[in-house]
Amino acid sequence: MVPLTHYLALGAILFLIGAAGVLMRRNAIMILLSIELMLNSVNITFVGFARQWADLTGQVFAIFVIAVAACEAAVGLAILISLNRDRQMMNVDEINLLKW
Amino acid sequence: MAGQLFFYFLALLTVAGAVAVVALPNPLYSVLSLVATFLGLAGLYLSLNAQFVAVVQVIVYAGAIMMLFLFVVMLINLGREERQALRLPVQKLAGTIIGLGVFAGLVNLYATTPLLTGAKGLFPAARLAEVGSVQAVGRLLVTQYVLPFQAMAVLLFVGIVGAVVLARRRAR
Repeated sequence: MVPLTHYLALGAILFLIGAAGVLMRRNAIMILLSIELMLNSVNITFVGFARQWADLTGQVFAIFVIAVAACEAAVGLAILISLNRDRQMMNVDEINLLKW
Repeated sequence: MAGQLFFYFLALLTVAGAVAVVALPNPLYSVLSLVATFLGLAGLYLSLNAQFVAVVQVIVYAGAIMMLFLFVVMLINLGREERQALRLPVQKLAGTIIGLGVFAGLVNLYATTPLLTGAKGLFPAARLAEVGSVQAVGRLLVTQYVLPFQAMAVLLFVGIVGAVVLARRRAR
């Protein structure tokens, strides 16, 4: 059986790749994709601990995380579509109307 | 042994997909490699006795959410991202060091956490194989976690309405 720490390390690697993507990419869609990556890295940690503790709460929470991610993707992409239609912008450096 | 090979193969697929997501310049390819990452993760969930989560991962994530992304990428017709070369050597170095530091800290935390030898719950692998992950998780969802489950339903409803309202063409 693969020890839990391997799964946790995989989750940490995925999370860092996702965080690097959020910081490095300037395209709004790529940032949303990287956020999905980070959410999934948390999921693998949840499910890993669920096996370790023989408790299904972690799996239930993984389902909740997936539902929240679905909502986030739907609303985020809707915002991007309306932004693209009204102002033809996709680069997050240009989207600074609300910047203080 | 076979289980370990399975794990390392899927872990490699997952990490390679994730790197491709962040590194590829074309968003279309990024979305497709994220699908590969999600399929690898679904296999890992299977190896963790989480069949229900694995199926939800394939249907909802790889199926629905990624198709939504693909739709938007093709609709908007992004093409290649014009990327200014990163001319921030100091920040690049600092970011790499901080990232590696965070990774080392996380791994250290994971290796020493008392959570690794936690109390054993009601569902060890043998019992899970007996009742099935779908039944057990489904029962938990509608008994102990019924309130979060209902909140999730409201959230999804608000998400649908919000997406339609935001993406609708405004009458001028």
